[in-house]
Amino acid sequence: MTAPNTAKRTVHLGEAENTLISQLLSAGARGAADELAASGLPTRRIEAYHYTDLKALLGEVPAIAEEAGQVGPPKFRVPGAYRILVANGRIQQSTTPPNGVVVSEAGGSSLTERDDVLVMLNHGLVEKSLAIGLENSVDPIVHIDHRIAGAPAHTAGALRIEVAPGATATVLETFSGSDAAHMGNQGTRVELGDGARFTHIVVDLSALNSRHFHTIEYAVGANVQLRNLLVNSGSALSRTQMFGVFAGEGAHGDFSGLNLVDDGQHNDITLDVNHAVPNTTSQELFKSVVRNRAKAIFQGRIVVSPKAQKTDAKMMMQGLMLSEGAQILSKPELEIFADDVQCGHGSTCGELDAQSMFYMMSRGIAREDAKAMLIRAFVQELLDPIEDEELSEALSGVVEEWLSRPAKSPAI
Amino acid sequence: MPAIKETVEHVEELEVEKYKYGFKSDIESEVAPKGLNEDIVRYISAKKDEPKWMLDWRLEAFRRWQTMTEPTWARVHYPKIDFQDLHYYAAPKSMSAPKSLDEVDPELLETYKKLGIPLKEQEILAGVEGARVAVDAVFDSVSVVTTFKEELAKAGVIFCPISEAIRDHPELVKKYLASVVPVSDNFYATMNSAVFTDGSFVYVPEGVRCPMELSTYFRINEPNTGQFERTLIIAEKGSYVSYLEGCTAPMRDENQLHAAVVELIAHDDAEIKYSTVQNWYPGDKNGKGGIYNFVTKRGDCRGKNSKISWTQVETGSAITWKYPSCILRGDGSRGEFYSIAVSNGYQQVDSGTKMIHLGKDTSSLIIAKGIAAGKSDNTYRGLVSAHAKASGARNFTQCDSLLIGDACGAHTVPYIESRNATAVFEHEATTSKISDDQLFYCQQRGLSDEEAVALIVNGFVREVLQNLPMEFMVESQKLIAISLEGSVG
Repeated sequence: MTAPNTAKRTVHLGEAENTLISQLLSAGARGAADELAASGLPTRRIEAYHYTDLKALLGEVPAIAEEAGQVGPPKFRVPGAYRILVANGRIQQSTTPPNGVVVSEAGGSSLTERDDVLVMLNHGLVEKSLAIGLENSVDPIVHIDHRIAGAPAHTAGALRIEVAPGATATVLETFSGSDAAHMGNQGTRVELGDGARFTHIVVDLSALNSRHFHTIEYAVGANVQLRNLLVNSGSALSRTQMFGVFAGEGAHGDFSGLNLVDDGQHNDITLDVNHAVPNTTSQELFKSVVRNRAKAIFQGRIVVSPKAQKTDAKMMMQGLMLSEGAQILSKPELEIFADDVQCGHGSTCGELDAQSMFYMMSRGIAREDAKAMLIRAFVQELLDPIEDEELSEALSGVVEEWLSRPAKSPAI
Repeated sequence: MPAIKETVEHVEELEVEKYKYGFKSDIESEVAPKGLNEDIVRYISAKKDEPKWMLDWRLEAFRRWQTMTEPTWARVHYPKIDFQDLHYYAAPKSMSAPKSLDEVDPELLETYKKLGIPLKEQEILAGVEGARVAVDAVFDSVSVVTTFKEELAKAGVIFCPISEAIRDHPELVKKYLASVVPVSDNFYATMNSAVFTDGSFVYVPEGVRCPMELSTYFRINEPNTGQFERTLIIAEKGSYVSYLEGCTAPMRDENQLHAAVVELIAHDDAEIKYSTVQNWYPGDKNGKGGIYNFVTKRGDCRGKNSKISWTQVETGSAITWKYPSCILRGDGSRGEFYSIAVSNGYQQVDSGTKMIHLGKDTSSLIIAKGIAAGKSDNTYRGLVSAHAKASGARNFTQCDSLLIGDACGAHTVPYIESRNATAVFEHEATTSKISDDQLFYCQQRGLSDEEAVALIVNGFVREVLQNLPMEFMVESQKLIAISLEGSVG
């Protein structure tokens, strides 16, 4: 009589895992190396990576980045912003910070340890993280310009943003680099003091053959107004995972994101919002536009803790598919333990509305122009809340650049 | 909110005593020794007088099962099941194929009466148009009696216990068994394949509209037995059948296991409507006992323009793990899923559906209503997917959860996978308590708190109840009332 086999299967480690293990070991992170050796990279059997099977998708891991040489001009520029250039994980240049901004460095990763391979790698590989203190209301946008320069390189970086109680600020993080198969693993932790008003814009413009991973944490204090916007148009493989925790009453968070995905790209946005205290609200709006053979993934979870009465959370995911071979995979989740709440989510996907197309074409607008207009209208809802005009224009530029990329497979 | 408070109090008051099906019939029965091994599989097969091919099929399934592990992904928690500590076969002794109801053990009939199956009345009603239901009752593991066989036979419909079908219609069973749920589909389906004891078999020939609703009652009576029934329904081209299963189990301290497999096959233009009313024993107020309901149900819309519709009212079981699904293979086929899942006490429900769009112009509709009360957890888990070739696929999903009390949880885990640009998927989910505005509106018009809550909850589940066959709508309303006594009028 044999009982069903419950023994754990031994993990077969691939080349990528072995490279990562040796990189962790040379960084002195034995614990992380052992853990990775025991579990391997997550496969689709790990729920959080259900649609992004890192083991199958990661590919070759390049060597740890050396000191960067010459870096080119920024791909994304907002006039008047205070820019800090971080190349290959090291602060490269920065001018005197504006009033209220304190720039410093701290040891190790800024992220909270959690059961996640990207966070574990970040902890194992980051030696020094950048810390930005926003001590009172800061007028110019603070732009952290992350680059990977030169030959294919693996960089791990971390940033801590601390917003003082009552302060108002906008931080922009952009990711770009040379045209090589890089791998970037960034961590950002944002701590928001009570009553802070904070806008966080993250733009990924990495080379189309690179891999980009970004973990963002938000610790939200009481009466905070948080707005975040993610715009992805780069990378062959990317995953941006956000963990927001509402720890003070009266706070509101707007989480939003735009995945612009084209041939061969696989872009994953994963969001976890935890309403841990009563009287907090959040609104989540994520959109994907997919063209050619590409994949856009959105996983969003809203958790309402037992004590978090009067939570109001609404999550919306909308996908637009422009051609054969496009895929939109989404998993909006609700996990509710309190009864006096209003929570909901919606998810839609489909192609451009045939009636709207017909309407415009019947009025003499060419098919391609009509399509572009509808796509612009679809994404505009995300850009509208951005108050800074220069920033809003720069973000529109990302959409325009994506629209103007040459079409590959026939549209439908 | 006084009404809510009252509701919660009523819900708390609802204890085991109120489990109206919590009686045990003392009928002599024949039980296989505890444990699961090849000998037990052979024993069951021998008891059923099965041909060799069936035994081989079971043994093959058993061997596969031994290599499998229990799934752990569902949001349910329970102590590890000792699969060797269960009886896998129990049969009421007195019932070697009764010729008519008169030959049936009176106590058994009494059991049916308590269950509310009006077998005798059915006979009287037989001549009445539209009020006829054919019942195939599965008591523990054996089908007791099948009514209306004759009339069904006249229409060419085969409705019999699956054990009989294995003997009398082996070509159909061989062709369709495990063609929708493969033997090694999942841990519990594989186990079921090895040890299934009975269940229903329905075959509706081409162009036939089944003249009456078919119905099966399952009941677990013997302690520590698992009920592993297997149902297979085949609707040939252009046919229609509506099938209802009801389940009850007497009150027991220990957890009983129920792992069924249901397979539906709809050919061109055929329609199958499958309704379930499930009120297995949910356990007592401390979460002790109750049924573990681990069920695999799947329908295959194999033909063009075929349709499969699942309706379920889930009020019982300590743990429910159940995802009635549709594979929309034929072009233009349609899948529907209507569900009410009510959980109270320490019940855990993880249920939902899968709509897999493979053919062109397929459509699906999902309406799921979850009501969580007490300390229960109620999860909707669903998949809607469009294959790359499923152009024109269409889905609409609506999942609503209602929370009563602050110690329960309601969760929604949908997977929406579109691999075709012309597929249009819409999903919406909401979670809330009964809103103060709604209550105020009703009260303002002269309804008491109690009536207002009843009205709102009834309205909340109405869309689903409407899809049940007429005969069972009333019963379901009663069941929901029992499960959530105080909140439903």
